[in-house]
Amino acid sequence: MRKSPRSLGYIGTLSVILSAALLAACGGDSSTTSTVSNSTTPGTLAVDPPFRIASLSASALTSELSASATGAQLLEVTGTPTCGVDFYYIKFWTQGGSKETTESSGALMVPTGGASCTGARPIVLYAHGTNANQALNIADITDTTNTEGILVAAMFAAQGYIVVAPNYAGYDISTLGYHPFLNASQQSGEMMDILTAARTALPGTLSSATTDSGKLFITGYSEGGHVAMATERAMLAAKATVTAAAPMSGPYALEAFGDAIFYGDVDIGSTEFAPLLVNSYQHAYSNVYSAPTDVFSATYAATAVTQLPSTTPIDTLFEEGLLPELALFDSTAPVVDIPGEAALSAGLTAALAVPTVNPANPETAIFALGFGSPYLVTNDFRVSYAVDAATNPDGAVPTPTAGVPLAAKAPTQGLRLDLYTNDMRTGWAPTVPTLLCGGDADPTVFFSVNTETMEAYWSTQVAEGLVTVLDVGATPTSTAGFAPIQVAFLTSQAELLAYYQTAAGGGLSLAAATAAVVENYHSNVAPFCALAARSFFDTVLLGS
Amino acid sequence: MKTTIRALTAAAALVALLQALPAAADDAVYNNDFRVGLYSVFYHTSGDDLQGPYVPAGVNFKADNLETLYVGYVRSLPANLQVEVALGYPPLSKVEGKGLATVGSVPYNGQVVSSARWLSPTVLLEYVFLSPDSKLRPFIGVGVNYTSFYDRTQTAAGDAASGGPTRLSLSSSVGPAGTVGATYKFTPRWHLNMSYSITRVNSHVETDTAGVIRTTEIKFGPQALVVSGGYSF
Repeated sequence: MRKSPRSLGYIGTLSVILSAALLAACGGDSSTTSTVSNSTTPGTLAVDPPFRIASLSASALTSELSASATGAQLLEVTGTPTCGVDFYYIKFWTQGGSKETTESSGALMVPTGGASCTGARPIVLYAHGTNANQALNIADITDTTNTEGILVAAMFAAQGYIVVAPNYAGYDISTLGYHPFLNASQQSGEMMDILTAARTALPGTLSSATTDSGKLFITGYSEGGHVAMATERAMLAAKATVTAAAPMSGPYALEAFGDAIFYGDVDIGSTEFAPLLVNSYQHAYSNVYSAPTDVFSATYAATAVTQLPSTTPIDTLFEEGLLPELALFDSTAPVVDIPGEAALSAGLTAALAVPTVNPANPETAIFALGFGSPYLVTNDFRVSYAVDAATNPDGAVPTPTAGVPLAAKAPTQGLRLDLYTNDMRTGWAPTVPTLLCGGDADPTVFFSVNTETMEAYWSTQVAEGLVTVLDVGATPTSTAGFAPIQVAFLTSQAELLAYYQTAAGGGLSLAAATAAVVENYHSNVAPFCALAARSFFDTVLLGS
Repeated sequence: MKTTIRALTAAAALVALLQALPAAADDAVYNNDFRVGLYSVFYHTSGDDLQGPYVPAGVNFKADNLETLYVGYVRSLPANLQVEVALGYPPLSKVEGKGLATVGSVPYNGQVVSSARWLSPTVLLEYVFLSPDSKLRPFIGVGVNYTSFYDRTQTAAGDAASGGPTRLSLSSSVGPAGTVGATYKFTPRWHLNMSYSITRVNSHVETDTAGVIRTTEIKFGPQALVVSGGYSF
C-alpha cells in the first residue's frame, strides 16, 4: 500500500469546498421581526408592525360567537358580522398620572373582507370600563373573559369600523404600578397617544388594505364613558378632528357623584372603585392622604391602596378579606360635632346616617348594602369630605340647582378637590354631535347624577340637536329613533329576570332574581348603548 | 417515489459514465476517495406542537423532502476501516405547516411557512466488508452529525399565521448517524457508491413575532439516500 503523493493536494481541494460551504453558512439570517422604537415620546408606536393576535373572517367570527349562549345573545344585539376582523396588539408610549413615562398597550381591530370592509374606514376610539384584572388585554380575542373586547369587535369592527382601544396605563405590560383611574388629563392623553400609535401602525400591518378615512368617533363605557368625554374635550380643545362622540354610562359629574356616595347613596362596585380612585389621585395630586389610614379602616389600610388592578381575581380578594365586597362605609354612622357649628353638625349627622330601606324606593336597599363592618372608608374621612361638600356645595347634589354649576368655590378636601378637577362640568361643551347613553336605573354609575346633570349643564350651551341623551331603560313613547333599542333592552331585562328563575339560571326566587338583574344592570346596558352609539355614528357618517 | 427514481437515474448515469472511461492499468491501492453525487433526503419530522402566547392547540410543522449535491471524502484505515466526511451542499429546506387547517382564518396546514438552509457535515467510521480487491464492497458505519441552520426565512404565509414578521431561530444539533452502503469499483480509481444513512437532528425552534416568543422542539430524523461517483487517489 502506498500513499499517493498528490493526496494532500486533493485534501486541499476538498478543504476549499468545505470552506465554501462554511462561508455560505455565514450568509446570515433573513428572517426579521418588528422594530422596537428607541423613542419613548408619548404616542410613539413601541413595536412596529404590531403583533396580530388573530385574524377572523366574518363567518369565523360568527361561528365563534354563535358557539356560546352569551355570544349568541350578543350577536342578537350587534347583528351578524359583515366584515372579518384582524386583532392587533398595540404597544405604545404614554405618560402616567404624574407625567411618568410608561409603556402601555391596547387593541387595533381592523375590518377585513370585501370592498365594504376595506379601503378608507372610520375609526372608533374606544375606552373600556373599570376592570379589576391587571392582566386585561382588550386585544386578546382568544380570551373568553375579555367580554368588552368581544363586544366592541362584534359591534364596531365586524361592521366596518377600525377600533382603537387602550388597555390603560397600569394594566397588562405597563409597569406604572397603578392605574390613573378617572384622571381626565392622563386618560385622554393616553387615548390620543394610542390613536397616534395606531395610525402609525395601520399601514404596516398585514391588513394594510384597510386605511384610515380620517373620520373619528369616540366612545367608551362606564369609566370609559368618562374617558371618552374627556378625550372628546381634549381633542376638540386641540382642534383635532372628532366626527362624533358617544360617552356611555360614565361618571361625568364626578364631584356630584362623589357627594352622592359620601352622603350615603353608595353605588354597587364602590369598594372596587374607591381604592382605584384614591391610589390614582394620590399619585397625581398627593393630596388625598398622609397615610392610607387617613382614608381606609385599619382592616384594609395596609393593602387597599395598591390592591387594584390585580392579577388575583377580585372575588378572591373579597373571599380572602383583602377588600370588603360591599361595605364602603361603617354601619355605625358618624355623629358630627363641629365646634360652633351646631346646625351644620346636626345636618351632617342626619345626612350621613345609614340609609333606611324603603320598599317603595328599591334604590335605598342598594344604598344600604354599602354600610357594614368591617368597612373600607373611615368615618373621619367621610366626615371630612361631607363637611367640604356642605361648605362648598355642588350644584347637582344633594339638590339639583338650575344651571347646575359646580361648587361656588373650589373644594378644599383633597379627594373632593380631585373629583372637582376631573369633573366634566368645566366650561366646555361639545361642538360635534354627541350622544350620552345610559340606563336610568343604573345602580353603579347613577344616570341622573351624571348623564342628566351633563344634559342640564349643557342645555343652554349647545346648539339644538347637537347633544342627544338616550335612556335605554325608558319606555319608548314612539317607534322612531332609538325606540327599538329601548324595547330590546327592556325585553332583555324581562328575559333575564325569567332566566334567573329557571334551573339553568340558578332557580332564584323572584326577589333574588330581581336583585340579580339590578346587580348586573350596569353591564347589561353596555351592549344596548354600544348599539345606540353605532347607530348614531352610522347616521353621522351618512350625513357627513 | 419520485426522489428514488431520480436517485436511480443518477446512479445509472454515473455507471454509464464510469463504464465509458478507459480501463485503468493502475493496480495501486489508494487510501483517499473523493466522492460527488446526489443526496436525497427524506425527513421524518416529528415535534411538539408550537407553544406560546396566542397559539391554538395543534400547530405543528413538517419539512419537505429534498435533493442536493453530495460531497464526501473517505480515508481508508487499516483493518478494513475507513472514515467518511460527508457533506451536502447546504440545501434549502422548506417547512410546511401541519395540523390545523387554519389558524384563526389564516390557512395553515400544508402552507410553506418557512425555509432554512442546513450545514450538516457527518463524520462516519465505517467497516468495509470483503477484501480491497473486491469489486463490490458493502460497508456499515456509525458517526456523528452536526447540523447548523442559517438563511432562516419566514414566508408571507408563515408571517400571516404567526401574526407578523417573524424572526426564526433553530438551535444547532449534534446527533448520532448511521449508514449502510456499498461501493462498486469499476477501476482502481473510479467507483460507484450507494448508501442509506440515518441521522438524528433535534432542534429547539424559537419564533419571535413582535416580541411574542413561541417555541417547540422538533426532530427532523433525516434519512438520506446517497448515490455518488468516487475517485481514489
